[in-house]
Amino acid sequence: MNYLDLSTRLTNLAEKLSKQATKIEGNDAAKSAMKLVTELDRFEAVLDSYLASRKSGEFFLETLLRSPSAKRHLSLDLLKKGLREICGKRLKAEEFGPAKLEFVETIHAQDKSAAAAKFLKHAFAEAASVESGGKDKAALQQEFIQLGRLNEEEFAKTIAKRTFGELRRLAGSNAVRFTDKTTKPRLIQVIRRFSVRAAINATPIHLSR
Amino acid sequence: MSAKILAFINFKGGVGKTASVVNLGATLAKLHEKKVLIVDLDPQSNSSLWLMRPDHWRDHVAKGRRSTYQIFDDAIQGKSRFNFEESLVKGVVTWTGFVELPRLHLLPASVELLRIEDRIHELRAPSVYRLVEHAIAEHAKAYDFVFFDCPPNLYSTTKNAIFFADHCIVPYVPDYLSLSGFQVLAEYITEMRERYGDSIGGGKRPNIGALLVSHYRQTGNVFRLAINELEIELASFRDQGFVDGDAALLEPYVRHCVRVAESTSEHLPVVLYAPGSIGAQDYSDLAQHFLNHFQNRR
Repeated sequence: MNYLDLSTRLTNLAEKLSKQATKIEGNDAAKSAMKLVTELDRFEAVLDSYLASRKSGEFFLETLLRSPSAKRHLSLDLLKKGLREICGKRLKAEEFGPAKLEFVETIHAQDKSAAAAKFLKHAFAEAASVESGGKDKAALQQEFIQLGRLNEEEFAKTIAKRTFGELRRLAGSNAVRFTDKTTKPRLIQVIRRFSVRAAINATPIHLSR
Repeated sequence: MSAKILAFINFKGGVGKTASVVNLGATLAKLHEKKVLIVDLDPQSNSSLWLMRPDHWRDHVAKGRRSTYQIFDDAIQGKSRFNFEESLVKGVVTWTGFVELPRLHLLPASVELLRIEDRIHELRAPSVYRLVEHAIAEHAKAYDFVFFDCPPNLYSTTKNAIFFADHCIVPYVPDYLSLSGFQVLAEYITEMRERYGDSIGGGKRPNIGALLVSHYRQTGNVFRLAINELEIELASFRDQGFVDGDAALLEPYVRHCVRVAESTSEHLPVVLYAPGSIGAQDYSDLAQHFLNHFQNRR
């Protein structure tokens, strides 16, 4: 059962009832009808209160504010920026909880739910975006695997030409961990170890044809 | 509406195919107002059992009727008993008994699919790989996305999804065994494309469009190293044409999250069951990247 099913069922019941209303008699039908009326009163009250708190266009904003994206990306700064852009107002609250409440109330008061939903959706998408690493990363990964394919002697010769900074960039782009205390010889050692591994692992196991 | 049809495949099990299908589908329906159809082709019926209570599922798919099994059984028996509308499950029933996520639809699987592989070879024509397409293509037009949850193999039912799909998506666990599996999978799909592409027709040629990482853990750099090796391999496969030229490793990587595992027992996607969990947050961000990657493509 969903709300659309319920609405269809109520519509069908209303049609049936209106056609037969003058012909229905007896205690069984009357008692059952009274029970239904009591439940309808209760349901109407819940529904009206729900709808009053979420005017048309506010449902999606509500969903966004309660979404996993909001939990991760909604911040005080974002609320401030949003209110400034959408309503041209400054957010007074300085803590996240009260700020969120003020944001929602101001948006509701100015009837800007659709704009707020659009703003948040865009902001969450921006916040979720990640740096691809770009061409640099791809080139450094390529260099890494080439190094892994060299024999010890060739590797030593090639790596000797690299500065410490270049080696750190190479390691960083290929998930090789190091710290500020890692020395150049040690870094060369781990680059050798993991570049050889990458060269072995990233070579396909071909299907025989 | 023209649906983007995507097959989630990997012949390695336990890599997060079902979790990706269910949770990405639900997140797109709830947070992006997309209409999503999940088609379960796995005899284990895991997508179906994630989104339906077992008693509801048993009633719904009794004897394989009202499930994807019927599509194959019809072809083998020369009948046409499959009825898309009757087979469809709309939304997800919560514990209140009411349905949520009305934009998420499911075409459930039944365990009878296990018997299909032995029988389907009675039909020898290449059209055996287009049975699902013929059965649901018209209905698929009503959706933004159609997701196929495929079994962990590359047999006939999976091929039905691969040949219907615009792209294949490979869920992936960052370790070497997954990497070696991906290498073989990419090559096999290329071989299928070369062998059957034109003879099967339909204008689509199977290809891998994206990879997703599941069960990610941030401890140490074990997983980061494994992902680095995958990225290197993916770049090489793009150059060699083993995957789509735009194929990408979509981020964020979905971290291991106990609330996701728990949500299977509640028969709810994590975005409904535990919207504040890291699992829900990762799928939420992943859905955003997924849309950026697939929505505006051919």
